[in-house]
Amino acid sequence: MAEFSWASRSPLEHALVTGAHGARGVEAGVSLTEVRNFDLIQVMARRGKAAELVNAAKGRFGVAAPNAPKAMQSQDATLIWSGPDQFFVLSKGGKHTMDTLALTLSSPASLSDQSHARALVSISGAKARTMLAKLSSIDLHPSAFPIGAAAATSIDHTSVTLWRGNDRSDGQAVFNLLVFATFAESLWHTMLDAAAEYGADIGQSEEF
Amino acid sequence: MRIVCPFCGERELGEFTYLGDAKPVRPAAGASEDEVFDYVYLRDNVAGETSEYWYHGGGCRSWLKVARNTLTHEISSVEPAAGAGARQPAK
Repeated sequence: MAEFSWASRSPLEHALVTGAHGARGVEAGVSLTEVRNFDLIQVMARRGKAAELVNAAKGRFGVAAPNAPKAMQSQDATLIWSGPDQFFVLSKGGKHTMDTLALTLSSPASLSDQSHARALVSISGAKARTMLAKLSSIDLHPSAFPIGAAAATSIDHTSVTLWRGNDRSDGQAVFNLLVFATFAESLWHTMLDAAAEYGADIGQSEEF
Repeated sequence: MRIVCPFCGERELGEFTYLGDAKPVRPAAGASEDEVFDYVYLRDNVAGETSEYWYHGGGCRSWLKVARNTLTHEISSVEPAAGAGARQPAK
């Protein structure tokens, strides 16, 4: 029987060109960084078991699972609200995978591995919010979208999960965006176009 | 038009899909042909307050029941549709 070997590849591996994009001779206003090699598990409470899931998640992660559009940071994972009674577990290094989460969460929740089904893009820089304002209809001002705020929304007719992570060391806000893998390239080009006038610094990373 | 999703907050119309009238109730098994015909095909063309199902597919993927005035587009209430996942937004 044939042996199958599945090599995971980024949905942006053709579209992403590291380096400067758009306006030159200025300090890049937007940093667009694709984050690769993450573990992403969708957790959805089974019918009538939302309260049980809250307790199980608290035991597993040490922080309360988000019950409103927010992202919660635990020691080694980010829990991101994705809808009522459901959230994502984003981590790296195999700490929270289907195998390990199923032990504690599969009784109150359905789990679904989305690690290779989404692309993760981190957007920051002095013009990041101005750039996103061209694409998103939600208010991303710090007073309306502080650190830890999250939204399930649409950008360029594409469903995304958007949340604000911790600020960069230079104080700039960081917006993280999860998008379906097959829509990632289209949205990436849209973001490149939106960022071009400010100058963009394109990169990829395995850190988040 | 904007709809205030009980889970996500105020969002633009483009994130939502209209399903239809939320008033018709499925007739009991054994109902007459007229009752079933009415349920499946006949809709009121209301000028005023209506109750409608909307789907927040571009956001939290919840089904919502929206009370809307077709004359003014004013929305007087939005609540999660019965039986569609979470019944209540977290307080």
